[in-house]
Amino acid sequence: MSGRIIIERCVLLAFAAFMLTVPWSVPALVNTFWVSVIAEILIWSLFAASVNLLFGYVGLLSFGQALFFGFGMYGVGIGIDQLHLSFWPAFGLGIFAAMLMALVSGIFAVRLTWHYFAIITVVFSLIFYFLAVTMKPLTGGDDGINFTLPPTFSFGGTQWSFTNATFQYFFILATVTLCFYLMHLVIRSPLGKAFLAIRDNDVRASLIGLNVYLLRLTAFVMAGFLAGVAGALFAFFGRYASASYMFYHVSGEAVVWAIVGGAGTLFGPIVGTSLFIIIRELVSTHWEHHSLIVGVMAIVVVILAPKGLVGLWRDGLDRLVTRDDSKAAAAKLPADSKLRTDP
Amino acid sequence: MTELVETEPVLRTENLTKRFGGLTAVDNLSLNLPRGRLQAIIGPNGAGKTTFFNLVSGLLGSDGGRVFFLGREITGLKPHEISRLGIKRTLQIKSVFNQLTVAENLWVTRQAGNRFLHPFRAASRDLETKARVDQTIEQIGMTALAHRPAGTLSYGDVAMLEIGMALISEPRLLLLDEPTCGMSPAETERAVAKIRELARSIDIVIIEHDMEVVFGMADDITVMAQGTVLATGSPKEIASDERVREAYLGRPEDEDYVEEAVHA
Repeated sequence: MSGRIIIERCVLLAFAAFMLTVPWSVPALVNTFWVSVIAEILIWSLFAASVNLLFGYVGLLSFGQALFFGFGMYGVGIGIDQLHLSFWPAFGLGIFAAMLMALVSGIFAVRLTWHYFAIITVVFSLIFYFLAVTMKPLTGGDDGINFTLPPTFSFGGTQWSFTNATFQYFFILATVTLCFYLMHLVIRSPLGKAFLAIRDNDVRASLIGLNVYLLRLTAFVMAGFLAGVAGALFAFFGRYASASYMFYHVSGEAVVWAIVGGAGTLFGPIVGTSLFIIIRELVSTHWEHHSLIVGVMAIVVVILAPKGLVGLWRDGLDRLVTRDDSKAAAAKLPADSKLRTDP
Repeated sequence: MTELVETEPVLRTENLTKRFGGLTAVDNLSLNLPRGRLQAIIGPNGAGKTTFFNLVSGLLGSDGGRVFFLGREITGLKPHEISRLGIKRTLQIKSVFNQLTVAENLWVTRQAGNRFLHPFRAASRDLETKARVDQTIEQIGMTALAHRPAGTLSYGDVAMLEIGMALISEPRLLLLDEPTCGMSPAETERAVAKIRELARSIDIVIIEHDMEVVFGMADDITVMAQGTVLATGSPKEIASDERVREAYLGRPEDEDYVEEAVHA
């Protein structure tokens, strides 16, 4: 095991420990407001992960993931408000709607690559954004749908629901963790290796016998699942669903988060999303042009660290570990080498 | 007709045609390549050799004609479908998965033919494939480079990796497009030895510009010019064919080469 992996495991462990104590440690250190910011970061990280799965692992740059986020949201919103579903069926409906939409749009979109693919994903999300805005009776248009949350679990007399902030936080943490774990499994699986092969060289991939179209479609539906779960969680979290989250601005933000954090790394989207949302929360109360900072940072990172912040961190650690090794080797050199540097 | 018949020619085309705008790259090509012989296709630049490979492997759709592999028609099939029948090929410009390691390149090639790719089981737990990958790495002599990303390899090593990828996929027919192009003499020798060894168990069709390589290893040679077959025969017959000499080998600097190769 290399030194880098040991250090990374330690960081991960510390991170996990922090995440598990957030409802108590964060109010003690800052205030309760930041607990809900962290819950929001978790949800948006999952959304950025859906961009990352497509771009970082299959080589498809989608600017339309907000469509599936929106379908996740509306699945929950319409499910509860109009179909009077309870928590879990509404959650399921949101995820199913997002995956179905991903399948339908993917059938057309994954025939294309690069800018054509990016454009068609934008077009799909714009079509459904405008549909959602016009179909006011169903979607509430720009105002959205507000709903009252049904309880998540109820055993006899006791109920757990999102009205309990601690329960809400842990439910989001558990769901997002599960999704990241699933993605981790996929990346290491035979399917994940096939994704990487397609990302690297799609012509070669088809010549070795991979069904490139079907594999891209599979990835697209999987990404739809991640975005759908994020959207459904966000609907529960905000108690509402709105067409504004289907706009391509939202997709674009996730692309920036994923790329700045490090596309093609599991934790890149978490790093990128955390960074930008924390900056937004810290700066936006003092300065309305906070998105300028975001823009400048995105440009700097893309130019200086093409593999994102996680890539930068890994390269830095690798260099540090090898420098330690060479320092140790240098220390063993005979003392006369030192004399030469004397004047 | 879905069965592959072992007694049929490994590759047969009927009036195969491909046009690019006004240019007919492959013109009414009818070829018959029998099994068990190392076949070489030669011809001047623009003769349609690579286009022919692209048509057979499905990278291009034809404008007419049919292609048969062991008696089964494969005209119009997709590249991955043709690949799964057992036709593998290399590309003229070396093409591997640059960001994957040598071992991963072989691993994914070995698995690519499977209809079902497990989405959740760790790839590293597939010990059978791993053993096969290790064996292939040893066969192509790249043990020391197993965990290097393919994009950092030297040109000759990438070519060897391509041969390894062809090996591990257990093809019935291997199409090699200028496998020794750009190699040093030592690398060429290594690759030629490997191709000769492979030809004992696999049908191979090779496009090659290096005359020494072609005349030294092919059983049959097909000469293409302007999208059609100019001549077919043993290396000796081709070397003494007047039309071929005129159309292709007629230049004096090549003549010595051919004679040398034939007498060697």
